[in-house]
Amino acid sequence: MSEFSDWFKHTFKNCYCDKGNLIDEKRFAEIVQLVLDNEADEESRAIFEQKISTCVKSNFTFEKEKTVREEILKKLSEHNKEIPNDLAQTIRNSVNL
Amino acid sequence: MSEEAIQDEHEVQKQNYSDREKAEIFDAEFMPHVDSMYNFAHRLTFDEDDAKDLVQDTYLKAFRFINSFERGTNAKAWLFRILKNSFINEFRKKSKQPSKVDYNEVEQFYNSDDAGEKITTDLRVETVQHMIGDEISGALNSIAVDFRTVIILSDLEGFTYEEMSKILDIPIGTVRSRLHRARNMLKEKLASYAKEMGFNKEN
Repeated sequence: MSEFSDWFKHTFKNCYCDKGNLIDEKRFAEIVQLVLDNEADEESRAIFEQKISTCVKSNFTFEKEKTVREEILKKLSEHNKEIPNDLAQTIRNSVNL
Repeated sequence: MSEEAIQDEHEVQKQNYSDREKAEIFDAEFMPHVDSMYNFAHRLTFDEDDAKDLVQDTYLKAFRFINSFERGTNAKAWLFRILKNSFINEFRKKSKQPSKVDYNEVEQFYNSDDAGEKITTDLRVETVQHMIGDEISGALNSIAVDFRTVIILSDLEGFTYEEMSKILDIPIGTVRSRLHRARNMLKEKLASYAKEMGFNKEN
């Protein structure tokens, strides 16, 4: 049982109406984050995957969030600052290595 | 980071490395993270010289307190924690534009029910695809540092919530909620930038 097992169950339940339709996209976005961050435990992930395989709206929200995140990450990663050439050596010198 | 703070966590496991072991640990476990440390420092300070100073300062502290580090444990998280604390305790104070925002208040606001509507952003995939790294980086840099930090640690450096909790000295539940608010802030910045630039027109 992970840190977020109870939180997941409670939040997930509140995302859907009695008929099983997604009614709270804001809360669902928090669930999606937990799943994409690999912080949901096995049981929570299974519940989530079962739902997105049957609910079009949930699946769309998940895929969109996943793609937006991948795009942002790709572009941020390409935009890293160039490391100063002398940094590693300066550090070694400063500790007399 | 104070001497006490660095030693605190590992007080019971204090090591007694020889000079040779210290050099080995420094080279094998600390130095491979220089690039990540520099990028993190630069995203905090926005200045090449300050970033360099901050990284050097972090490594000096790491070497000085190396006996508080247990070989084979998470060196990257340990170094990031030192760097983050050095930034808060020393660099932020020296900054020409010190933080005037109470981040607890910001966090409380974003955690409140009232904030929900304001932070829901419809950011389209195509909009992000139109943008270049510079624009996305600019949006990230415009977010308050406490929120920017969680995005950097999670998305760029790949730390888990538990590791982030230790690096930032906040509960793991706060990591989850702060990260969610931070990502919403970033999306909001990107959406409003896209609107200004006309990226999100229908045709």
